[in-house]
Amino acid sequence: MRSEWILPKGHLSYWLRQLRNRASLIAPLRVDGDIVFKSLENIHEVSLDNPALLPSPKEFLLPQQEGMFWTEGERIRPLLNKERRFIFGVRSCDVSALGLLDRFFLEGYGDPFYRERRRNTIFLSIVCNNPDPTCFCIGLGTGPYLEKGFDIQLTDLGDRYFVQAGNRQSQRLVRQWSFLFTTPRKVDYEDQYEVFLSSKARFQKRISLESVREYILAGKVRDSFWESVSERCFECGGCVYECPLCTCFTVTDRSYSFGTERVRLWDTCLFKGFTRMAGGVLPNEKRVLRTKRWYYHKLVHYPDVLGSFGCVGCGRCTVTCPGRIDMATIAIKLRDLQDNGR
Amino acid sequence: MAVRERNNIYLPVKAEVVEKRHLSADVSLFTVRPDVPFDYRPGQFFMVSLWGAGEVPISVASLRKEGAKRSQQGGDLIEFCIRKAGKVTSLIHDVEKGGFLWIRGPYGRSFPLEYATGREMLVVGGGIGLAPLRPVIQWALRERNSIKKVSLLYGARTPDDLIFRDDLKRWAESGVNVVLTVDRATDGWDGNLGVVTTLWHKSEIDFREAVSFICGPEVMIRSAINDLFFFGMPEDRIITTLEAHMKCGVGKCGHCYAGRLYICTDGPVFSFREIKEHNLL
Repeated sequence: MRSEWILPKGHLSYWLRQLRNRASLIAPLRVDGDIVFKSLENIHEVSLDNPALLPSPKEFLLPQQEGMFWTEGERIRPLLNKERRFIFGVRSCDVSALGLLDRFFLEGYGDPFYRERRRNTIFLSIVCNNPDPTCFCIGLGTGPYLEKGFDIQLTDLGDRYFVQAGNRQSQRLVRQWSFLFTTPRKVDYEDQYEVFLSSKARFQKRISLESVREYILAGKVRDSFWESVSERCFECGGCVYECPLCTCFTVTDRSYSFGTERVRLWDTCLFKGFTRMAGGVLPNEKRVLRTKRWYYHKLVHYPDVLGSFGCVGCGRCTVTCPGRIDMATIAIKLRDLQDNGR
Repeated sequence: MAVRERNNIYLPVKAEVVEKRHLSADVSLFTVRPDVPFDYRPGQFFMVSLWGAGEVPISVASLRKEGAKRSQQGGDLIEFCIRKAGKVTSLIHDVEKGGFLWIRGPYGRSFPLEYATGREMLVVGGGIGLAPLRPVIQWALRERNSIKKVSLLYGARTPDDLIFRDDLKRWAESGVNVVLTVDRATDGWDGNLGVVTTLWHKSEIDFREAVSFICGPEVMIRSAINDLFFFGMPEDRIITTLEAHMKCGVGKCGHCYAGRLYICTDGPVFSFREIKEHNLL
C-alpha cells in the first residue's frame, strides 16, 4: 500500500476539518502568548509557525493527573479514557519519545490506562525545518525528521506538504480523502531532502550523549562533580514535568461523600519524599543521590534496558531549569572536562 | 466483563479478613480469603489496599498449600503480616475480622527455594523481617527430607517485639534450630542479648555449604551478608529481600527504581552477587 503523498497547503484546513469530524483534533494554539496543545474549535486558530519548542504531548497519554478507578461501596469502575484523538503539529523528538514510552508502558505488565489512550490517538508530526538553539535531537537520531516510528509525518515544502504514513491506521486517514492528495514526483523528493539537509545545518548544539555515557562508565566522573550539580538543583521538578520521557507517578485515593477515586499523578525522583519508606526512612535523603539518579537513569540505565537514551534532545529542560543543570549543559560540561583530559 | 477487568493490572480483588491476630504492639497478622484464587510463592508480595486510604506492598507471610484446589469458591487463605508504620497501614489495622481488604498480585521474584535442596538452610530475620521468611521455613519443614538442616537466627528490639511466637515454638519442636535474641531485655527474658549477627556460632551451620535467606532492617541485612560472605558462603547463595517505597508493584511508577533495576519486578529477592553488581545496598 502506498504511504507517501503530496498535500497542497490549501487543502490542509479542509483535511483537518474532516479529521475533526472523526475525533477530537488537538493542535498547538496560542493562548495569551503561550503555545499549548488544545482541542481545536476553529481550524484557523491552529498556529503553524511555532518555534520548535512546544509543550510535550506526553500529557495526552499520561496526564498530569488521571483517575484510575471510581468506587462506590464494592462497585469498582476502571476509568479508561477511550476518547479518539488526532494530535497535530507534534515534533519528531516527541514522536521518538513515544516509541520509548510505548515500550516502557506496554512491555511486560501492560499499563491499561496508557494502552487505551495510545490506541485511540494518532499523532501527526511535522518535520522541524527551523530548530531552536536549545535543540539537540540531531545528535541522538531522534529528529529533526524521522525515518520510521511515526504515525503521519508532514514535511513543509513551501507551498505543499510531503505526507508520509507510518502504519495502516494512518494510511486510511489519507486514503479516505485521497482526492486531496497527489502522488509525489521526483522534484518533491528532492525538495524534501533539501529541507532535511537545511534543517540539519541549522542546529547550534552538537552533543554526543554516547561519549558522555562512555565517560561516566569509565568511572571518570567523580562524586564531587555530581555534588556541584546537585547544589544548583532547586528541586522544582520542572525538568521532569517537561521531559517527554519522564514517567514516574504516584497513586493516591481521594474520598468524597459519594465515592472514592484512585488517582495517579506525576511524581518526581528529585523530591526528597519520593522514596520515603514505611516508618519514614529516606533512602535518597541526600540531594546529590537524587540528581545523580536522574542522570544515571537517562544516560546509563535507559540505554542498558531499552537500547536508547532516556533523552530525545528536545531541549525543554534547558529552557526550564533555573539552576542551569539541564541535560545539554551537563553534557557539554562533561565533554569539556573530557577534552581537558580530566 | 469480569475477565476483561482482570486484565487491568491495577485492579485489586476483594479479600475478606477471616482472622486478625495481634502479634505484637504494632504488628498484626491478617488472614484473608480473596474472591479469586492466587498462585504465589514465598518472597513475593501483594499490593494491599483500602479504598480511600491507598495501597502498600506487603509480602506474603504464608505458604500456599500444595495442590490447593482452584475450583473451590473463592481463593485459598493468604496471610499478610502488617506493621502499623504509616497512614495506610494504620487504617488497615482498623479493619477487623469480617471486614475487607483489596489485594492485587502476586508480584516480584520469589526466593530460590530450590537452592536449599540437599543443603543446610540458614534463615536470618530481624523484627518484622520474619514475615516473608515464615513461608520459607514452612516450606523447609514440608520438604524436610530433602533439606539437611534448618537454622533460624531471629532478633527483635524487645521480647515483646518477637513476632510469630507460636510458630517459633512449633518450629523448635519440629527440629529447627531456633536462636532468638533481643536488643533490650525485659523482665523474664533470660535469652540472648544483642544483634543477630553476634550469634553466628550458635547457628550450627557449615557456612560454605549452606544457603541463607535474610530479611530485616537494612543495617542488619548489610552486616549479615558481609559476614556470611566472609565466612565463605558463595555470594549466589546469600539471598535477601529488599524493601522499597512502591506505588504500582509492576515496574511503572518508578519509586523503587535502583541502579537499573526495579525492586518490584526485578526483586524484591536478590542475591549478594546482584546487590554488589547493581549497588543496591
